[in-house]
Amino acid sequence: MKLPIRVSEESREPIYHQIETQVKSLIVGGQLPPGTPLPSIRVLSNDLQCSVITTRRAYQNLESNGFIKTVQGKGTFVKEIETIKMEETKQKVVIDAFVRAVEQAEQVGCSSEDIRRIFKEVMENKRNGGGL
Amino acid sequence: MTSSLLTTNELTKKYKKFTLGPIDLKVETGTAVAIVGANGSGKSTFFRLLMNLIQPNSGSVHVFNQTFGENEAEIKKKIGYAGELLEPFGHLTIRELANFVSFWYPNWDQRYFRYLIKRYQIDDSNKYAKCSKGMKKKVEFILSLTHHPTLLILDEPSAGVDIISQKKMKEDLIQFMEGVNRSLILATHSIDEVKSICDWITVFHEGKIIQAFDKDEIFEKWGRIWVSEVTDEIREHPNVIEVSSSPLQIVTNDLRKLENDLKNEHIQITHVQRLTLEEGLEYLIGTELTAD
Repeated sequence: MKLPIRVSEESREPIYHQIETQVKSLIVGGQLPPGTPLPSIRVLSNDLQCSVITTRRAYQNLESNGFIKTVQGKGTFVKEIETIKMEETKQKVVIDAFVRAVEQAEQVGCSSEDIRRIFKEVMENKRNGGGL
Repeated sequence: MTSSLLTTNELTKKYKKFTLGPIDLKVETGTAVAIVGANGSGKSTFFRLLMNLIQPNSGSVHVFNQTFGENEAEIKKKIGYAGELLEPFGHLTIRELANFVSFWYPNWDQRYFRYLIKRYQIDDSNKYAKCSKGMKKKVEFILSLTHHPTLLILDEPSAGVDIISQKKMKEDLIQFMEGVNRSLILATHSIDEVKSICDWITVFHEGKIIQAFDKDEIFEKWGRIWVSEVTDEIREHPNVIEVSSSPLQIVTNDLRKLENDLKNEHIQITHVQRLTLEEGLEYLIGTELTAD
């Protein structure tokens, strides 16, 4: 039941938000199909070495946004998600990732031109089957 | 979900040269609280008050929404405690000691006891008084867990314990917390234990709680910012903890706010980093002490 989630010490995003986004990506990406049990708040906290206050907040947000549901006494599970919402969320996850990348680029002093060039290069490399 | 398992209200104990309290502490069900602080800051006195081993001058302790006066034996069946209680029974072997302790706990799990004795490589035919400091700590730890308590109160359980056993203790505590509605109060000097087990950090200093916060707060809010210059406004800023040079940098307890204010002052930010728990604790305890 270990989730492939990592909390980044470098990221400026709050930890609960990092957890939320990553669980969301796993759900909309299909790695966590509906009905999949999620680790308890305590177990996830221990895995990520963060406090239960943080994971609880992430789970609460995921639950109120309709991604997961908690069944009293049974645990937390991935919910069935409508197709439209699925597509919206997929887009949102990608947009968020780009926003972060652009912020980071600006922080090291890249111009818009630089960023566009780097983006093209990355896409090129990807197409040719390699990394950077 | 956020019901309180243990609450102290203005708990106070006065000695000639030392006063503990008033202490107000709440331990939420399902959470682990680290008690940190220098030697002599009152942690052990506090623990003895929690266990009703000594009586407070004023204030109260509620465990499971009851006071010890109402129901001491019943309450204690659900608590596991390790804090140098066993010394008077040093003439017993560890096996005899376990028999003696098991008498008080209907939930005593003999199989779990055997498992832990083996796991921590303890020869239970040894007399308790003849054990080394680390070995005694391990025995206390085992005896606190063997009746599957709901609340675990541990006073520096890993002090003087070998590295391998420390790691096992950590694993056992994590496993303990994974049970339903378990809570832990852990006095420790090990930052590693705080990091991997606890949710809340409570800092004791000279008999008082000077800080109590969510462990992730340091990561979320504290940071170090490298800047091009520093103005007097920034130096005097309430959220600036420290300014140091070469290269010029600021430690803050509110990263977001300070970043904004730096931008308003047109100061260039060259780099930003979060603080580690170690660094954060050092500043937290340090600033509080110099503010006295």
